[in-house]
Amino acid sequence: MMDPAPLRTTRPPEPGQVRPFTFPEVEYERLESGLELRTARMPRLPVVTATLVFGAGEATLPEERGGLAVLAGSALHGGTRRRSGADLARSLEALGASIEVSTGWDACAISLTCLADRLDAALGLLSELVQEPSFPESEVARFRDQRLAAIEQRRMDAGKLADDEAARVIFAPGVPYGRPVAGTRESVAGLDREDLTRFAGERFGPRGAGFVVVGDVHPGEVRSLAETHLGEWTGGGGPVGDVPVAARFGHRWVRVVHRPGSVQSDIRLGHMGAARSSVDFFSLLVLNTVLGGAFTSRLNLNLRETLGVTYGVRSRFVFRRSPGPFLISTAVDTDATADAVRETLREVEGVVEAGPTEEELSAARDYIAGVFPLRLETTGQVASAVAESFVYRLPEDYHRTYRDRIRAVGRESAVAAARRHLRPHELVAVVVGDAERIRGPLEEVGLGPVEVCEQP
Amino acid sequence: MLEIPFERETLGNGLRVVLSTDRTVPVVAVNLWYGVGSRNERRGRTGFAHLFEHMMFQGSVNVAKSQHFELVERAGGSVNASTWFDRTNYYQTIPSHHLELALWLESDRMGWMLPAMTQEKLDNQRDVVKNERRWRYENRPYGDWDERLQALAFPPSHPYHHPVIGSMDDIDAATLEDVEDFFRTFYIPNNAVLTVCGDCDPDETLRMIERYFGRIPRGNAIPPLPGQPDLPSRIGGTVRRDLVASVPLPRVYMASRIPPFSDDLFTVAEVASAVLGIGRASRLYRSLVRERRLAKDVGAYVYPLLTGSGLFLSWATGYSNVETEELETALATETEGLAQAVAGEVDRALAMAETRVVKGLEGAGRRADLLSMYELYFGDPGRVNSEIERLRSATPDRVGDFARTHFHDENRAVVTYTPGGDS
Repeated sequence: MMDPAPLRTTRPPEPGQVRPFTFPEVEYERLESGLELRTARMPRLPVVTATLVFGAGEATLPEERGGLAVLAGSALHGGTRRRSGADLARSLEALGASIEVSTGWDACAISLTCLADRLDAALGLLSELVQEPSFPESEVARFRDQRLAAIEQRRMDAGKLADDEAARVIFAPGVPYGRPVAGTRESVAGLDREDLTRFAGERFGPRGAGFVVVGDVHPGEVRSLAETHLGEWTGGGGPVGDVPVAARFGHRWVRVVHRPGSVQSDIRLGHMGAARSSVDFFSLLVLNTVLGGAFTSRLNLNLRETLGVTYGVRSRFVFRRSPGPFLISTAVDTDATADAVRETLREVEGVVEAGPTEEELSAARDYIAGVFPLRLETTGQVASAVAESFVYRLPEDYHRTYRDRIRAVGRESAVAAARRHLRPHELVAVVVGDAERIRGPLEEVGLGPVEVCEQP
Repeated sequence: MLEIPFERETLGNGLRVVLSTDRTVPVVAVNLWYGVGSRNERRGRTGFAHLFEHMMFQGSVNVAKSQHFELVERAGGSVNASTWFDRTNYYQTIPSHHLELALWLESDRMGWMLPAMTQEKLDNQRDVVKNERRWRYENRPYGDWDERLQALAFPPSHPYHHPVIGSMDDIDAATLEDVEDFFRTFYIPNNAVLTVCGDCDPDETLRMIERYFGRIPRGNAIPPLPGQPDLPSRIGGTVRRDLVASVPLPRVYMASRIPPFSDDLFTVAEVASAVLGIGRASRLYRSLVRERRLAKDVGAYVYPLLTGSGLFLSWATGYSNVETEELETALATETEGLAQAVAGEVDRALAMAETRVVKGLEGAGRRADLLSMYELYFGDPGRVNSEIERLRSATPDRVGDFARTHFHDENRAVVTYTPGGDS
């Protein structure tokens, strides 16, 4: 056996000279059609992300049409007036390009990724896909069947089921955020080609839409490419207004979804949170980091590193145009279910009553400000950030001043934000697990009535 | 087209160092690969390499429990680790003025982890890992698929037979003495690669590395792998496990042994997997998803493994009215059909691979991880710059030959899931 190294006693080294980080400069332009160009140059690698973003998503659809925006987005891959879905896929992939559509509550983003020297050709295909979708009957049926199968899969995945049930228990009936973003079996089953065609005609147009191009390309070139490929494009829906939201209960409530034989319980605890436009946005980011947004947050150090009952626990405010949920998520050993809920509750109460300490706040600010550039290394990440600022109409200096605003969050504003936006007495819980083993202990936690229901 | 710069050094104690500078953003990645993984685990201690990885975050002589995470998060960095068959990696990406902190933390646990170990910490992380196993594998539909497939594709005598996460009994059986043995055997500078990638000055960085890691003594030679690492190139039949489980939809996984990562043919396997299952114009998507509508999703990829054999994988999730037999036949037909691969589809796969390779170099953390891997596995970090060229060597003829040699019923492991029952 080798000799052990001589023991050493040292302290963590001091940081070196800080090197400045500047968010890539974004150029703003507007085509006559209303399409708003946002260009940022990142020339390090020969790659480009080009994202068309429409400021409307699922939130504005009535419940019985839930999932229409998501389905219309994915069915854009079904083909165009000029080529079938299979031809479209072949043409794109022969260029090494990919187009991914992602649709949320507030926006739909159609994102092209390709090598810089193939941007012109790939943009031709992006333009065709969004301007001339044909939604062939049989492809629409296929995308709908895929979506229905995905909904079926969510029901049997304890974590996703818990997410869906939490939304349902947090928001009042009729509030869009209370349903799954991609719709339900009933709503999706009713969607057809005509719905998709109409939706695309109304929504996928240049007016009020953004075109974000980030990568190894000159802004001047982007303008001319946009005019070539998207210049003739007309129409569009523009941004949408707020969604009315309301809580379902306004008091504590526990719903157990019975999953016989479950070796863990998936737990969600939450209530209505805050809107993306909230004046408390930055304070909430800092506050949540103290509570449950990072590895060394209170919740994770307690439930994982002290009690060992989970692989991890996180909390977050989900910021949308209207207030999304505040949600704590974890999965714990079945026998530890009630203890985990009790401890979680205690941590939320603690952070509201006594507030975060100065030391915690300073660590949280340093963390958020420090990781900011780490999350802006790729063209895709920068394009998402620019698209987000477009959707939520954030000020032009938003990214450049982000870290200053984080550093400006003092104890007073964090405490005030905690009191305004964390309401322990309104926390509702969803627990997906073995009801026979967890119901009794959960009733003793004092979170209010425990309702047990079967897996939907 | 691409040239990721790098320098190599080896310290007196055998620690291999790769430095790669890129000062465009003030971010640096510190990445350590240790040449130990689940393949090194002895009987009765499956899952230990991974449990040990958790223990590496429980402190060292100058770092208290949780302090590693606290210091890195406070510095504005992200940190994690992962364990796999052949290796364990530890990685942090951090604002570059905190580079020295990250090096100090890694050196403290490489050199002086044991004085900080306690039974309480081991028991805590044992519970965490058991919850990881429940969460990742036991409590989710199809969660045990890779465990099942490995057990079929590799015989009980082979070090890839058991899953990286290990069995609950073995996780329960781990002791502090195991931690000590494992540390002294495998966590030694001559069994590790340290890569620093991003915003750093190479000379200054090397001086820091020398200062913090230089005094850690070299360890003994790594003991031979347990069991029987050599394998026939074929499974020798179609081995299968048909399960009725509480899953939402039928699903089939299929695997074949292929040459290991170190073999030139592995590149051909990579391209074959892309022709088969990557993208909407791939064979599986076109046939099973778009045309025949048997499956809602499909995929294929390769496991880059070192020990005796690699693995080629494909899967399909069927609609509820589709039988697993039909899915399996369709998967097998398309995979065997690669014997007739044509230029158009190989070009498509190569074009997509090219974009993927370039995209994969965008983040400092990912670049560092690749440099570490190529240095540890092949002693050649420069492979990061020749990846596209290597892939291009896979012509349609070579893909066809490869498919004929490897994809047939003498070399197949199959796991099927049919919905029903309580698993």
